[in-house]
Amino acid sequence: MTAAANWEAGRRERAKTMLGAYPDRRSAIMPLLYLASLEYGHVTEQAMTDVAELVGVTPAQVQSVASFYTMFKREEVGKYLVSVCTSISCHLLGGDAVIDAVEDATGVERGRTGDDGTFSVERAECIGACGGAPAVQVNYETVEGLTPDKAKALVKWLADSQPEVVLADEMQQLFGGVRSFDWGPLESEGPVAAVPAFGPFGSAKEGR
Amino acid sequence: MPDTVSININGVAHDVEAGQRLIVAAESVGEVIPRFCHHDKLEPVGKCRMCLVEVEGPRGKVLMPSCTLLVSDGMVVDTESAVVKKAQEGVLEFLLINHPLDCPICDKGGECPLQDQTMQWGPGESRFVEAKRNFEKPIPVSDVVLLDRERCVLCDRCVRAADDIAGDPLLTFIDRGNHVQIQTFPNEPFSSYFSGNTVQLCPVGALTSVDYRFKARPWDLGHTRSVSFVDTVHSSVDAQTSRGKLVRVYGIENDRVNEGWLSDKDRFIFSAVHSPDRVTAPLVRGDDGFEEASWSDAMALVASRLGGYLGGEVGAIGGANNTNEEAYTLAKFMRSVVGSSNLDAQLGDGLNPHLAATVTPRATIDDLDRAATIFVWGPDLKETLPVLYLRVRKAVRNGATLVVASPAGTGLDAIAAHVVRYRAGSGSDVLRKFASGDKGYEGAREALDAGPVVGLVGRSSLAEDPMMAEAAAGVVRSLPDSKLLTLLTRANIYGALDMGLAPNLLPGRVSTADDEHAEMLEDAWGHLPRGTGRSTTQMLEDLASGAMRAMVLVGADPVRDCPDPGLAQRALEAAEFVVAFDAFVTDSSIHADVILPAAVWGEVSGTATNLEGRVQEVNASVRPAGQARSLNAALDDIAHLMGVDLRAAKVADVTREIAAVAPAYAGITPDHLTFESDGDGVIVPLEGEQPLKFIPVEVSVPVVTSRLTLHFPDALYDDGVWNRNAPTIAGLARQAEARLHPRDASMLPVHEGDIVSIEERFVMPVTLDDTVPVGSIVVPRNVVGTKGLTASTSVKVEAVEGGA
Ligand code: SF4
Ligand code: FES
Ligand code: FES
Repeated sequence: MTAAANWEAGRRERAKTMLGAYPDRRSAIMPLLYLASLEYGHVTEQAMTDVAELVGVTPAQVQSVASFYTMFKREEVGKYLVSVCTSISCHLLGGDAVIDAVEDATGVERGRTGDDGTFSVERAECIGACGGAPAVQVNYETVEGLTPDKAKALVKWLADSQPEVVLADEMQQLFGGVRSFDWGPLESEGPVAAVPAFGPFGSAKEGR
Repeated sequence: MPDTVSININGVAHDVEAGQRLIVAAESVGEVIPRFCHHDKLEPVGKCRMCLVEVEGPRGKVLMPSCTLLVSDGMVVDTESAVVKKAQEGVLEFLLINHPLDCPICDKGGECPLQDQTMQWGPGESRFVEAKRNFEKPIPVSDVVLLDRERCVLCDRCVRAADDIAGDPLLTFIDRGNHVQIQTFPNEPFSSYFSGNTVQLCPVGALTSVDYRFKARPWDLGHTRSVSFVDTVHSSVDAQTSRGKLVRVYGIENDRVNEGWLSDKDRFIFSAVHSPDRVTAPLVRGDDGFEEASWSDAMALVASRLGGYLGGEVGAIGGANNTNEEAYTLAKFMRSVVGSSNLDAQLGDGLNPHLAATVTPRATIDDLDRAATIFVWGPDLKETLPVLYLRVRKAVRNGATLVVASPAGTGLDAIAAHVVRYRAGSGSDVLRKFASGDKGYEGAREALDAGPVVGLVGRSSLAEDPMMAEAAAGVVRSLPDSKLLTLLTRANIYGALDMGLAPNLLPGRVSTADDEHAEMLEDAWGHLPRGTGRSTTQMLEDLASGAMRAMVLVGADPVRDCPDPGLAQRALEAAEFVVAFDAFVTDSSIHADVILPAAVWGEVSGTATNLEGRVQEVNASVRPAGQARSLNAALDDIAHLMGVDLRAAKVADVTREIAAVAPAYAGITPDHLTFESDGDGVIVPLEGEQPLKFIPVEVSVPVVTSRLTLHFPDALYDDGVWNRNAPTIAGLARQAEARLHPRDASMLPVHEGDIVSIEERFVMPVTLDDTVPVGSIVVPRNVVGTKGLTASTSVKVEAVEGGA
């Protein structure tokens, strides 16, 4: 096991736990990809090669998995990843205007990351907050009931106060409108590794 | 008799084999269901939905993919209903949404399942007006395969072939939805020995081969069924020609041999047939080197020179790259005309001819499918017999236990249940421990007790004593339910041995010691020297010392291929007269006095025998280059000049003569062989026992004790003359490297990438490899930079100062 030899010690340990948790090592590809992206900032070629070696498959097979899921970021992501939902409910209630407003306020086109590395903007498929549409996520923390103006204010607040940790409740209070229900993971995790499903391995705690 | 179930297709009842997929069962009764992703030799995935049919179920008729559905008793199927028709049109319309429809410039046009099935089942019109996907085109996925992604219909065939069949999962889907595409990992090309199979499998023109791109149209191609001469598996091939040239080789599904698969060497080596470096006219050594001569002058010279020696002063080396008919004619010419038993198709690189030709009980390739345990003691199958490697992989996938013994890591290790590693030179020690189930070997030994066992035994490398294979064969034979295949690798070497091109064999697997048969053969041939002749190594020694005087070289390159290249060089230089039948001027034939241009694979017809003893047809698909001729025709003429009628001018006459005088080939008729009748060839002998039964016994081979023993394995892409002359794969030739265990490396001391010298002459970089046992070194044979290295049991290795 040479691949991840240079990973930070805690992550190496966690990789070992993950590999041991599945009867088939290959099943650990996805949680390991999160770990590797914490190590490298995003899913780099090296990250995929490391995971391949840990699991015992080819890098091409890891790439196949990594490229399927949009939450594995294969390019550098800004400090704040703003994901604007434009699926049906949000679309009907003005999601497109919200994303235009976010682009405007950040100066970053959807699918891109700003040059200064503060913002990435993307279009998301339904994020499960249809009751509070239109909805937006910042580093996978959800804010519901936004308007274009509130979205702009949210972006301004992020840019000015540069919070280290983004929390759904706080943003909802400051900028949100209708809320569908209490939502989301208890802890917040930065742009690449908010992984409620993998909480037991602690990957969701990293990034603080 | 397998169980059958009764199903109803389009109102007609059929009894079909149980346990099959519906699409296969339907085809077996003549109902062809269209498909893209389904392929008989790949696991079903149900990806393309082209095979939808209506099947009656508890809730009425439903559309189901017939490629994933198993037949069951009473199943009622409709493949032609309006609903099915609509589904087929829908699927095709969707598949064509992003397809560029560039058939006029696509290599697949004319033999494209997408084109054909669209014509037969498609809607005829598209409603798609939006922009299609665009990709950079083509991108190379390997040195020999190109990919045009926009043509791909995402059927997953190439991915499954790379992963399940070849074991090289380097080609995968990436991205999602509208962006899905086939890709490799950056800087990790699909460099598989089997990559060419994906080109043949791809149901569209997405994967194409570098050497066929834009070369020909399918409807202009000539087709000839033959067998590949790259190794002794003799994979069935369709040699395809355009305007008198070979342009493509495709695999043919011969389920007893290659199941349709080919190695890239099988597939791409044909271009060497049309190499500009072919010898196309007889060459006679004059004062300033070779000069072209007429066939009649050259043959007259050969006849008069060969006629001037005593039989025993002349020897012949080679014949393994020829057909059985050519090999037989050579054996007959040497024995009955020249009067010499000095004949050897092996170059000191093989096995005891008796073991190779007549080992009993001999397995067939498809016995691997029935084996509970497969035991490999020999060369790395992936490098030397790649299609046999695929057959072993398949057997293991289906549950066989694999035990592999070798002096360094092999391609099979990853799927082996037990790997027995021995230090080169100490095989007999380990074999003994292993056979008696000593500590550390209990598991592997236990696996052997579960029969049926198929043992694949050969020489792990030229540096290994050939008796090791015999010892391993002896162990396999001692198991109650076991069969054996020996692993010689060169082209038609088994045919050559069967035709008597060995110092101790007469045609038809008869020992030279069998007087009764020798008498019969003498009657048929008119003359036959008795007793055993000299082997290649003995001939080379005797030539070098002057005890022998003349040499006939037949497509053999001993300076490259025999264990002691220096000896071969000295022998050929010392010989008074050397005639070479060769297609190229090689490191050996360059020493000849006369080179007669030889017709080669693709240009000659006849028969050939593979490693299981299967005789198949070999068919010419192009005319010989220049004035090249087949060996039997040339020898027939030379014999005439020497006053003997060999009756070998016509191949068919020779085939008949073989059936009459070679016991193991008794009763073989053209009917057994023509691909029209059965297609898969026949195992000889057709009836009865082997004329000669070779029973390997336990032999002991002295253990070599020295600091660094040599393992000298063959590589698939070597620096041999054929590889060098096939542009598609020439660039893939392996480079010299010295693989060492890290512990030995640290003693020299050298690091990864440092330069070492071997025997003070050969310099190469070091690769650290902990599959190499401590105390040995692995150097690939006959690759760029190891030409001339002697296959001794141990070598001197030194670090080269400042070499890195
Ligand atoms: S490249 Fe060809 S074989 Fe591979 S998925 Fe695409 S269509 Fe199928
Ligand atoms: S559609 Fe936007 S959250 Fe469901
Ligand atoms: S052939 Fe059945 S889904 Fe492709």
